[in-house]
Amino acid sequence: MSQLSRRGFLGLGAAAAAGTLAGCSSGPPAGTATWSMWSSSAAEKKVWTDFGNYVEQQLKVRSVATLTPSNGYPTKLDLQLVSGTAGLVTALNGTLIPTYAARGAHRPLDDLIAADPDFDLDDFYPTSRRISSFNDKTYAIGFDVAPTVMYYNKDLLKQQGIALPSKTEPMSWATFRDLARQLTEPGKQYGFTCAPAIDDLVSWIYCAGGNVMSADAGRSTLRDPEAMEALQYVIGLFVTDQVTPPIKNLVTESSLSNFLQGNVAFMQNGPWQVVNVRKAKFDWDIIPFPAGAAGSTPRVSGSSFAIPSGVRDGAQLELAWRLLKTLTSTGALDIYAKAGRNNPARLSAGSAFQPPPDNLGIVQQILAGKLAGGHAFDVTTNWNQVKQLLGQDLPRTFLGQVTVDDAISGLTPRLDILMRQHLDTVRQATARKG
Amino acid sequence: MAIDTAPAIGVAPATRPTPRWRNRESLTAWLFILPSLIGFLIFTAGPVVAAGVISLLDWNLFSSPTWAGLHNFARLGPDPTFWSALGNTAYFTLVSVPLTILVSLALALLLNLGLKRITIFRSLLLLPYATITVAVAFVWIWLYIPHDGLVNAVLGWFGVSGPAWLISDSWAMPALILMSVWKSFGFGMVVFLAGLQAIPQQLYEAGRVDGTSPWNSFRHITLPMLSPALFFVVVTSVIGSFQVFDQALIMTNGGPGSRTTTLVMYIYRTGFENYDQGYAAAQSLVLFAFIVVITAGQFLFQRRLVHYDN
Repeated sequence: MSQLSRRGFLGLGAAAAAGTLAGCSSGPPAGTATWSMWSSSAAEKKVWTDFGNYVEQQLKVRSVATLTPSNGYPTKLDLQLVSGTAGLVTALNGTLIPTYAARGAHRPLDDLIAADPDFDLDDFYPTSRRISSFNDKTYAIGFDVAPTVMYYNKDLLKQQGIALPSKTEPMSWATFRDLARQLTEPGKQYGFTCAPAIDDLVSWIYCAGGNVMSADAGRSTLRDPEAMEALQYVIGLFVTDQVTPPIKNLVTESSLSNFLQGNVAFMQNGPWQVVNVRKAKFDWDIIPFPAGAAGSTPRVSGSSFAIPSGVRDGAQLELAWRLLKTLTSTGALDIYAKAGRNNPARLSAGSAFQPPPDNLGIVQQILAGKLAGGHAFDVTTNWNQVKQLLGQDLPRTFLGQVTVDDAISGLTPRLDILMRQHLDTVRQATARKG
Repeated sequence: MAIDTAPAIGVAPATRPTPRWRNRESLTAWLFILPSLIGFLIFTAGPVVAAGVISLLDWNLFSSPTWAGLHNFARLGPDPTFWSALGNTAYFTLVSVPLTILVSLALALLLNLGLKRITIFRSLLLLPYATITVAVAFVWIWLYIPHDGLVNAVLGWFGVSGPAWLISDSWAMPALILMSVWKSFGFGMVVFLAGLQAIPQQLYEAGRVDGTSPWNSFRHITLPMLSPALFFVVVTSVIGSFQVFDQALIMTNGGPGSRTTTLVMYIYRTGFENYDQGYAAAQSLVLFAFIVVITAGQFLFQRRLVHYDN
């Protein structure tokens, strides 16, 4: 084996350095349709690949999608936005739109919408439009939107000789609790499952007529009677009635995996889980969320596409807008719906969402206001902090370690501080806009 | 005849020695050190300086930063979450470091006995350290399941009813510590084993001639001779424990309540979830200062306890 000379060693070093620098090049050339999206499975990747092909077919430019696993997506997006390497269009979960909009990370789209006669915002469900807005401006265009519904195990109910619930008429909370108790055999079979977190609790709070925050988002309203009633009810299902599977740990607790085991009668979740529940080895369907004092008005969540503020003007902005329109067009959302990922945000794409389950049509009917109802997921510009704070103490109530009253009493002053900070952020954003 | 050997003033000697940094050996050394040095300057020293600057700013990542002076440091005092996270981190360090060292040392002593087929045990014991924390954390979540997890099943054989480890106020942190000790003892074990094998056998032989008991031999020969390795493991373990993050994030997400929220987890959340970069940088610098002070203290203390051959 020949020895490497000093000259050869230096040459190799130079080649390695050149290779490293080449790897740090500035990305796809101008004129490329770049966009970012979360993707955590092969099935999701397939959908986004199909989206990319559709973009190339429609826009006649190269599509480059940056796909990141969903749990790391927000951090990666932050770094891309700060370093100016984000795509022309970025996907956003609805709960983060006010956070980004208030900090100037994304640009309002109203000027682009107004200047484009081909774009019809009315074809999007009203809740999707509300989720995608902040401070009376449209910051994003939805690609999916859906209300929380109740999944149920038809086989389990039939085995117990219990009549199947109405497909269209929401049951009352009292009926639901009775049914859950009736279907529970501790250690063997359970009546209900949901995640021990605010994301699931909020649907019950809305149905009781309450909210996490006041109408002006200036104070916490979890101590109000409506919200307290909802919290006591759901946590009672865990602690007092014990109709839920025991919580094993708070990190990987999953209502879906509980339900898929086949020994849980009802699961609260969104239609975005239909694609996963289809793997169940039992017959199942979905029904509207149980109605509280304010009716059946569970949380409606959604995701959207937005344009970063760094995309300023000229050809780049024009391409970004055309890309955003294509990614949220009926044609693209048909691809999304046919794959069964979730309910598309456009009315004109809704029919592509195929059963099973038999009753999936209620999702569109709820969104269109024809059946039961829904409540857009209200969030603040510091929702991560609100969620963290609630995530600290609320789960302990589900474990029976702290009473609901004590937990909410401890949380309220700290939540009020966050609400005031939120109002300050809104004021600063308004001043910047003005 | 007297010979004046002193050089004439102002006249350079004929063969002045080449400065140390310019000789071939030094150049080669610098060439090899350079990649690490560049990496250190870019990825360690640079961020520390940047954190120092950012800590003086009010910056949400996206808008232009504004000058905040020492305001971010002033916020630390009245922030209960910061102090609770610091307390949790200190608790973790104070319990996990001595435990890890005891387990590492005990296993290293066992492996040093020269038993047959010891290599396979050495490899097996090193396996937890070589495995990535994320994978280990998920396995331990499964082991800690209250009703049908392996840990409680084993305790059940002895008639002990195990707690709901990861969701218990009092057991969540010990559960994390137990997992961390299991994950990290391999590193200390290897260092101790190398240290043990470097101890001259003559010392033990001399001890035996003098009739020294095994315990005294351990106290007066093994421990002093092993003290440099012990010091190294203590310093690196304390630094590592103060930076504990991934296992707590994966196994408990800081809960129940904030019982397992560590300082690095709080810094990460402040910076990248709450978009408060200035405050996160201030917290990082305080953590950095804690580690520097504790490490400096250890270095001062070691002069009295650590025995070096030279």
